[in-house]
Parts: sequence; C-alpha cells; structure tokens
Amino acid sequence: MKEIFLLIVLLFAGMISSSAQLRTVEGKVLNEQSTTMTNANVFIKGTIDGSITDSLGYFRFTTTQQGELTLCVRLLGYAQLTVQVPETKLTGLVLKLKPDNVTLDNVVVTAGNFRLKGKGQFGKMSAVDIVTTAGSTGDLYHSLRTLPGVQMVGESGKLFIRGGDSNETQTYIDEMHVLSPYTTTGDNIPVRGRYSPFMFEGINFSTGAGSTEYAQGLSSVLALNTKDVSPITKIGMNASTVGVSGGGTQAFDKGSVSVSLDYQNMEPYYSVLPNRLHWINPYQLISGSSQIRFNPNPGSVIKTFIGYNRTTFIQQLTSPDNLSTRNFGMKDDNIYLNSTFQKTTESGYKIFAGAAFSLKNQNIDNAVIQTDTYHEKEWEIHLKTKVTKRFTDFLRLNAGLENFIRHDETGYMYSSTVHTDSINHSISALFATAIFNINSNLYAELSDRMEYTGINDEWNSNPRLALSYNLNGIHFSGIVGKYTQLPENKYLMLNKKLSDEQCTQYVGGVYYEKNDKVYRIETYYKTYRDLALQEPSVLNSDGYGHSKGVDVFFNDRDLIKNFEYMLAYSFNLSKRKYQEYTELSTPQYATTHNASLSVKYSIPALKSILGITNRFASGRPYHDPTKSGIMNSTTGYYNSVDMSLTYLASKKVIIYASASNLLGRQNVYNYTYSADATSPDGYRKTPVIDSSSHFFYIGIFITLSGKTAYDVSNF
Amino acid sequence: MKTIKSLMCVLFLSLSLVISAQEFAPVVQNVNNAKDVSELIQVRSQLERFIVAQPQQWLAEYYLAYVDVQLSFRVPDKDDKSKYLSEAETSLNNLTALKETDKSELFTLKGLRLYALIASDPQTNGPKYSGEIINDYSTALGLNPNNPRAVILSTLFNNDMAKFMHQTYEGFQKDVDKAAALFAGENKTALTPTWGKGWVDFALTKK
Repeated sequence: MKEIFLLIVLLFAGMISSSAQLRTVEGKVLNEQSTTMTNANVFIKGTIDGSITDSLGYFRFTTTQQGELTLCVRLLGYAQLTVQVPETKLTGLVLKLKPDNVTLDNVVVTAGNFRLKGKGQFGKMSAVDIVTTAGSTGDLYHSLRTLPGVQMVGESGKLFIRGGDSNETQTYIDEMHVLSPYTTTGDNIPVRGRYSPFMFEGINFSTGAGSTEYAQGLSSVLALNTKDVSPITKIGMNASTVGVSGGGTQAFDKGSVSVSLDYQNMEPYYSVLPNRLHWINPYQLISGSSQIRFNPNPGSVIKTFIGYNRTTFIQQLTSPDNLSTRNFGMKDDNIYLNSTFQKTTESGYKIFAGAAFSLKNQNIDNAVIQTDTYHEKEWEIHLKTKVTKRFTDFLRLNAGLENFIRHDETGYMYSSTVHTDSINHSISALFATAIFNINSNLYAELSDRMEYTGINDEWNSNPRLALSYNLNGIHFSGIVGKYTQLPENKYLMLNKKLSDEQCTQYVGGVYYEKNDKVYRIETYYKTYRDLALQEPSVLNSDGYGHSKGVDVFFNDRDLIKNFEYMLAYSFNLSKRKYQEYTELSTPQYATTHNASLSVKYSIPALKSILGITNRFASGRPYHDPTKSGIMNSTTGYYNSVDMSLTYLASKKVIIYASASNLLGRQNVYNYTYSADATSPDGYRKTPVIDSSSHFFYIGIFITLSGKTAYDVSNF
Repeated sequence: MKTIKSLMCVLFLSLSLVISAQEFAPVVQNVNNAKDVSELIQVRSQLERFIVAQPQQWLAEYYLAYVDVQLSFRVPDKDDKSKYLSEAETSLNNLTALKETDKSELFTLKGLRLYALIASDPQTNGPKYSGEIINDYSTALGLNPNNPRAVILSTLFNNDMAKFMHQTYEGFQKDVDKAAALFAGENKTALTPTWGKGWVDFALTKK
C-alpha cells in the first residue's frame, strides 16, 4: 500500500510541476507550392495543446510539455504531418503539408473516362439518375447514349463508341467480365441491359483509352460496381407495361442477401399497341438474381452474384422477296455467376481475387429458312487477381494476373444437313501499372498488359501512358495506349489463325468541374490494324481503319433551382476495311454528328421529376447496289424527343412513365435491298425502321416493408 | 506484487479517464455553443487532437462527425459542403468499428448526415437518400425509443415528407412534446451526446 501511495503522490507532483512551466510553440504552415495554409490544426501529439493557423498560415500556442515535442499537423485534403521538434527550436517553425492519398488517388482526371461514380458519393450516378433521364426507358445502356462518344444506333441498342463496333465495348461487373450483357431480341429490335441499373452503385464508363486492366475491349469499357453493403432490410415489387417483378434484401450485422425475380411478357402491350412486327408468341423473359454480401471485418468484402434468365419468343418473318414467311423461334438461357473478394490489409495492400462464369445457351428454330434449327452454346470462365499498394506519396503500384477460358459451339441443321463448329481457347494476361504523383498537380500513369491468346499462339504487349496536369482547377489530360482483342467467334471458327485485332489510341482533353458544373472537351485519333477481313475467297487479318473526332460535354445542375441540363455533342469520322467491307469505307453504324440535350426539372408542387431528352444524329451510310462503289448513300437524319415523368404517389409508391419519339418522326437506320424483277432497277428497297413509332413505359414501384420508403431497388 | 500491479493499472486507467473527462467536457460545451463557421472549425481542431490522443474513445469521433455535419450546413460553397460530409462519413464508419459506440446515437447521426446531403442538393439527393434516412431513424429508435435526438429528427423528416406529399403528419405535436420532455430529463453533465434541443425549438416554429 505504501508503494501505491508513493506513486499517487509522485504522479500528482509530476502533474503539478509540469503545469508550472509554459513554453510557446509558433510557426507557419505551407503546402508544397509554399502557399500559406489556413485552418490547419497544429498540436502536440497525445495532448490537446495546439491551435489552428490564421489566414496567413501562422499558429501560436503554449504548452506545459517538456523536452522534445512530437508535433502533428492536420488539414482536410492533406496527409497528416508528424514532426519531432527539439526543445531548443520551438519557434519560427515552417511545416509543409502534402496532399493525402485520397486526394492523390481521386482528383485525377483521366481522358476518355466518365467516372459517373465520382469522388465519394457526390458525383455518383444512381439508378434514380438513370431512370429519370428521358429516353433511358429504365435501361442503363440506353441512358448512356446521352453521353458524348456514344453513337445512336437505334435498331441495335448496344453501345457503339467513337466509330467502333459494338463488340469492341466490354462490360465488367465488380472487375469481372460479362460475356453477354445484353438481352436477346429479334432482328432490328433494340436490346437492353440484362441487369437492372438498381443493382449498381458505381458506373465507370470509359469511352476511350481505358485502363489496360480490362481485357478485350478495343474501343471502350463499362465497369460496373455492385454495392459492398446494403444496410436496409426491404421488400418491394413493381408492375409495368412490360411485366412484373419483386424482391428484397435482408440485412444482417455483417452482410446482406438480396433476391429479385422478374417476369416480362410483351403480349398485353402488343395487344393494346400493335406494332409492325408479327408475333406468334411475343417476347417473354423470366429472370432471377441474387447477391450475397459479407463483410467479415471493416476492410474486407466477399460478394457473390448469380443471375439466370430465359428469353423466349416466336416472330413471324417475311423473306426479302416477300414470297414466304417463317416463324423465327428463340429460346435463350443465360447464367452469370460472379464471386469476388476484396481486402485492405493494415499495411495498405489492397488485395482482390475474383471468379466469374458466363453461359449462353441459344436455340433458334427457323433461323434462316423454314424448318432449319440453329444452336449455340457459349461459355467463359474468368479468373482474376490483383494487388494495389501506395508505397510513397510519389508512387502507387497495381499489378495482377488473369485468365479467360472460353468455349463456343454452334450447330446448324436443315433437313439431313448438319453443320457443327466449335472453338476452345484461353487468354492469359499479366498487367501492371505504376502511378506517379510527380507533384500535387502533375500525375503520370505508365502501364503494360502482356497477353497471350492461345488460339492463334500470339503474344501482345499493350503499353499505355497517361498524363494529367491540373492548372488552377482546369485539368489537362493525354493518353496514348495500345489495345488488342480477338476477332469475333464467328470469324475465329472459320479461321483459328486470325491475328489479334489491334487499336492504337491517342486521346487528349480539357476538363473543368466546379460546384455542380462540368465542362469537358476531348479529341481522339484511333488507328486499327489486323482486323478480320472477309475477302471474296479468303478470311484473313488484313483489315485496317481509323477513327477520329471530338466529344464535347456540358452538365450544369446549378443554373436554375430544381433544374439540370446535360448537353453532349460528338463529331466522328471513321473508315474501315474489315469484315464484309472490302473497301475502305464508313461502317453502317457510324454517324458523323451526334448530339443530345437532356433536361430534368423537379416540380415539388406536383411531387414529380420531369425529364426531356432530344437526340439527334446525322444520316447513316448504307449501300445502294444500284449505284457504283460501296456504302455510297446516306439515310436521313435521326431525331427523337423523349419524355419521362417520375411521380411520388405516396412515400411507398412511385410511378414512372416514359414515352419515346413524341414527335412521331420515322427514323430510318438503313435500307436493305432484295432482287425484284418487277422493279425498274431490279431491286426492292426496304427501310430499317423502329417496330413502332413510340414506346410507352408505365411502371408502378411499391415498397412493402415498413422501415424504408422512396426506394425502387430490391438490392 | 501482482495485486499491486493490477491495482496500479486500475488507478492509471481511472486517472486517465478522469483527466480526459475533465478536459473533454468543455469541448462538448464548445460544440454546443459554437455559433459560426470559425468557432466550429476551432472546436473541430480540438476534437481532432482528442482523437489522435485517444483513438478508441468514441465520443470525440462522434462529435467530430456531428461538427462536420454542422459545418456542411453553414459553409456556402457546395464543394466544401461535400468535403465535410465526406469527412463525416469517414468518422461514422470509424465509429461503427468501435465497441463503446452508442449505436442508437450513431444511426441518428447517420440520418442527420443524409439529411444534410439532401439539404445540399434536394433535387438529386432527395430521391436518392430518403429511404435510407427513414431506415436510419427507425433503427435508432428501435435501439432506444427514448433517444430524444432520434425522436425529433425523425418527426421533422416525416413531417417534411408529409408536407411534400401534400399530407399532414398526424403525430407531429405528440412527438415534438415527447422529444421536449426527453430533452428536459436528459443528464447534461454526463459524457453522452446532448445536442439537439434546438431542433425542438425549430419544430415548434414550424407546426
């Protein structure tokens, strides 16, 4: 007991004596450019002795601490600075702050990339933003068509970016490849995204010169991220002009499980609003998906997603000569399974591992002519692992390995003729990126992707260099990069030795973003070579081409209260000799001018958000066999005014309505020609147009659980 | 010797707690009394020093998140608002990992932060976060039905929503009275969150 008493006495004595001597600490705080920093918090580590800097960057405080001091400086956006200050030098201090890792990693603007997720959650494009964009009809891919660089190919619905073909754009979910991201439809009926936009919280859309981490995307990459946590337990359902769906999420302490079931049937819609197509069995889609998220500890996430859907329809098609009909019957099964693991270790390593499996199984009756059958089964396994670590303020490294195992088999049967084909192959790659923060305004990224494609036994090195410079909030960025991709399976099946298709991209841009205003302008030049080319007698890799253009984008959410506008314009010149284009010509999907103006207006008095989008594209090239040359003609321009209205009927009921092409313009995408002896020039000319002038969507979203409201997402 | 050692440990621990409580109480006072941005930044810096000294203490981190939300209401620049709300989110995430954290208070503050996000950009964030706010407040009330901050903030939000829907929120007066009574009975000296009385006064002006 004596000892304890002594200890207490000593302790108090120490405290009293220490409070006796006051010492002054003073100095100033600067950043790397020697600009004075206001409101920086300067204090002695482990105590509350300290002060904040004034408008000239000066601080001054007193302390009772003795001996050498450990000073800490903290300021938002800067890394915490810790310095040892000797007893004799407590005044006239000059402390320099450096940007923190979050700032270093986030403020970088990279050409070609639309980080719709943005910094933190403030620039995040949510499902609500997507569905309230008129013309999106609730679909992710349709809503992306309001961004620059995306070409208006109305009859397809797929993404055609900057003069590139749609198969040059790849979709990734949580870093893992998706083999068939689009729904299966009939001829000239636009596809939609297979996955609900409500599943994703991050959307990174690269319209050019994207990260070399993503494989097999010659033009562009759409990287989607699902939620890491879904903290709300909820149940919801919806009914619309195209079907019904329902589902919900059960949240647990360390994770959550979401389930969604969806049934679409176009029969009721077509019975009320008939279209130009003839349906025996209208489009039907049954789908189910589920995601399990598990957060074993704050730095780790394990996610597993599984989605299944089955599409069926029978469409009556008329032969080009108008003499016979056939019942084109589609059965399509699609499975996507994706499991990922992410962990941030205490030493700052970010570790990622993932596996994905995609399967497409398609059976078509009367595919080309009456009584034939076509079958295709395609699957892919994608395995990927990577690690990221910031080593110093100057350097961050990112490296990984991935492997794709692919299989595709087709079978065509007509009377006694059976023709089958198949390919099995794999792609292996090693990728690495070094990110240099040269100073807080200048950033460089040097990367390479070494890829081996087994089918043609080819090695490729895809280097990429990106530079970004920030001049008082105006960002300049330039990228040069090489990209490769295997030719489409239909060509590989005919010639397994086709080379990997190559694209070199040069992108430069200027960006400015401040207080809800975004301005960006980009220019690009792309050269293509080793493209698959179907010459009269041989299929080879002698195809080539180029594409160049300018993209402009303005977005302002601060102009008028409750009002937002988005203006995108793209100019593109693209020429190719590839596939069936045996002469250098502009491909059928490429348009020179594309523009879209999208506005949204919230009307609190009506509890509504009104959206109007006008999209314009100049005419599409097409081939007229009565004239000389190929791709020798141009269709009329495309224009569509779309409208959407989101109405909060009550806090548990949301009604969403949209209508396309309000002006009823008949947009012609292409013309097809068939031999017709009765016609003076020997051809019958048929326009490729939308199946109906308008598309109407009305949906009602109901929240059934008690704890949440205004929520249309089941995930 | 062993008992003496453990006794010493207990003594040290209790002593250090007393010191921090003594030092922390005036900081909480400063938080509650801060009238403008510069006073809030001042108290924010004091809280940061506490967190660096005692990272396991939930209350300093909690008040830091609260001050950041308050700052987001007061600073005029939209980018600055975003910066403070993003900092508040980091603090709230840190709090989730701390064992001592009063979870009802945590969810209340999460809700208030989302409310601030909506206030900073009602058109975009209103539809985005309304569902989550309702969930946060009801989780807070589920954990402690007598949390006056959760009672008043949830009442105000429900009332705002009802107004937006051109309806009236029937339980408004009853809930405001309940919150007022709960605030009146709160022990102001204890080292627990005590902010929020101002929202009752604000509610009374609204009716």
